[in-house]
Amino acid sequence: MIEEQLVRAAQRGDTVAMNDVLDALTPYVGRICGPIALSDGPDAAQEALIAIFRGLRGLENPAAVFGWARAIAVREAVRVARRGQRQQPAELADLPAADDPQLTVDVQDVLRRLSPEHRAVLVLRDLEGMDEQAAAAVLDVPAGTAKSRLHRARASFRKAWRS
Amino acid sequence: MTDWPTIELTDIERFRALAAGVPGAVVTERVLPAEPDRVKSMLADLDVFAEIQADLVSATVLERDGDRVVVLAKGRLGQRARLTGQLRPGWCWLQSRFLIMGMAVAAEPGGGTRVALTGGIRVPGRAAIVPIRVRQESAKSLDRLERLLRA
Repeated sequence: MIEEQLVRAAQRGDTVAMNDVLDALTPYVGRICGPIALSDGPDAAQEALIAIFRGLRGLENPAAVFGWARAIAVREAVRVARRGQRQQPAELADLPAADDPQLTVDVQDVLRRLSPEHRAVLVLRDLEGMDEQAAAAVLDVPAGTAKSRLHRARASFRKAWRS
Repeated sequence: MTDWPTIELTDIERFRALAAGVPGAVVTERVLPAEPDRVKSMLADLDVFAEIQADLVSATVLERDGDRVVVLAKGRLGQRARLTGQLRPGWCWLQSRFLIMGMAVAAEPGGGTRVALTGGIRVPGRAAIVPIRVRQESAKSLDRLERLLRA
């Protein structure tokens, strides 16, 4: 966690406090960007941190720094992953339920089958424990879109998994 | 789900991000033909650190608590700066009211060591650097470091 006071000091121009905020945010940003951007994860995390430090002064609620950083990390990870997509876009695969045992089989394989946007939904839901409405807010899509993405995804994912 | 892919950023990648939050800061990077551990240990020595900075004659650690340090830097014109910040192998970020100095080191994929420097005259008390000659000064510091590594 980061103390609100530390974030405020960083916002006031204390660069050593900025360094401390960097130490605190780097693992978190990496945890978000890794599963969404996959092999482009380091690029995504670096670009997310750059956006975070460029925008830190404008953060209105320093207590919400992690939520704010999460939104930036997801946005950058999806953007960098799309830019770096070298293979043909995979057919839309679907997400297994959070408690589905097949999900534990091979996460890497599951993730590779998904688009960056769907990986983002999966990360926000399963890794960050957010509900679909909160995930939709982070992704800046209507709640119904996130919900239907998730819903449509599940059945066909299983189909793909079995085939 | 337990085995989510994780990533770790190098200090160079982290350094670029931190410098991006400091308007006026220019990050100058160079890949040097030396082992990372050797470069890190050289730069962890503040005598070396001072030697490669054009304007410094010495830098002395006054206080240390883990990787947190207070450093007294003396300049060629007799000026003194009390810098605070973080100093550990491969990473240095120091500030005084009027100065910011930063350095990061990471192994370069394919061999060698990437070194990144930034710093300069700080807009007093702010996260900003007066953008005068910062690129040239960092390039000269890297030249000196390269010479020291060859010696």
